[in-house]
Amino acid sequence: MTGAAAPRPAAGAGSTSHPILQLRSVTRVHGEGALAVRALGPLNLDVQRGEFVAVMGPSGSGKSTMLGLAGALDQPNEGTVSVLGHDLATIGAQRLAELRRRVIGYVFQDFNLLPGLSALENVALPLELDGARPRDAWIEARKALEDVQLDHLAARYPDDLSGGEKQRVAVARACVGPRQILLADEPTGALDTVTSDLVMRLMRAQCDAGRTAILVTHDAGHAAWADRILFLRDGRIVDETGRAARDRASRA
Amino acid sequence: MTVKNSLLAILAQEPTHGYGLKSTFERSTAGTWPLNIGQVYQTLSRLERDGLVAARPADDSARQTWQITEAGRDALNDWYREPVIADPPVRDELAIKVLLAIAADKVDVSDILQTQRTATMERIQELTRHKRKADPESELPWLLMIEALVLKAEAEVKWLDLCEARLAGGAS
Repeated sequence: MTGAAAPRPAAGAGSTSHPILQLRSVTRVHGEGALAVRALGPLNLDVQRGEFVAVMGPSGSGKSTMLGLAGALDQPNEGTVSVLGHDLATIGAQRLAELRRRVIGYVFQDFNLLPGLSALENVALPLELDGARPRDAWIEARKALEDVQLDHLAARYPDDLSGGEKQRVAVARACVGPRQILLADEPTGALDTVTSDLVMRLMRAQCDAGRTAILVTHDAGHAAWADRILFLRDGRIVDETGRAARDRASRA
Repeated sequence: MTVKNSLLAILAQEPTHGYGLKSTFERSTAGTWPLNIGQVYQTLSRLERDGLVAARPADDSARQTWQITEAGRDALNDWYREPVIADPPVRDELAIKVLLAIAADKVDVSDILQTQRTATMERIQELTRHKRKADPESELPWLLMIEALVLKAEAEVKWLDLCEARLAGGAS
């Protein structure tokens, strides 16, 4: 491993032969010894660049555990997780931190916006933490807010935004700058139907623009915005959409 | 009943001839309910018999135009005010299949539930692709019709989830 450059896609990495995210024989166990519970796996998953994947399954099926592993927030007990072709177990703490800051964006149910910062400052924060000059960070942040059609509310504080507006700011923050992978855990849990529809349209638009997204949800109507839906049960993928059509195509 | 009242609703806007009724009905139901013209004329003659519509003297286009009567407006208002309750409980093939599978030996119910869930989700994905393309202003009837179908399919997925949770002995 040479050089300390941020993990960036190699030229041509957009080809389908290199999944942007790959889980290989991944297992995650919580607890130890007699109390050990397998929360996930063994599980394999390839996500291609630009793909929008939804993960459904009952509570305790391993959805959020899988998202945590994919987002480098947690490590598997066995198997490998690779992002942009880098094995997260071997790239080292510094590059792992860079990956979390520059490549992956997270959206949570409870927005996680800082109340003392305006919408623009919230979106700019990850870039500033990454060492960008404030002026450059604000320019990028304003672009991200334009993408979610909220640039007119850039100066507002979270307390003065509706739930839907807060979640759109959170999506902008997750996508700001060079981020390529958007991970969302029940991002529409607290929103009404019309508003959560807007958030789903936004995630869809991000993927149509080339970003990659994984959405964990129990809501069928939201999952349906994805290209592919995975069904988890007891930590394993038991089925996925499109499989029957692919089988038919491969037999033809 | 639906066609009869729908024709009254259209005629309450303005007097219209048979083909106009057909095309307006199909446009407002986003093309999901095609009417044949024979059915339109048959319904009109029944409405006329009941005094709910009246034929207007043919204009120079020589096409028969129909208008709603006062009794027709009353009947229409009654329809608008009456909630729609799905009459007789639907004989739902999926529900019956699942219930029989639960009662049977040697049938993998969870496999049936998952196969159905995947197929229904693929259907919702397909509907959502149409929804993405629908303009909420110029194509409102179409958008709302798709959303009605999405929500019905979502209810089916929720029911499948519930079946599974109950079979697993879950408290939910």
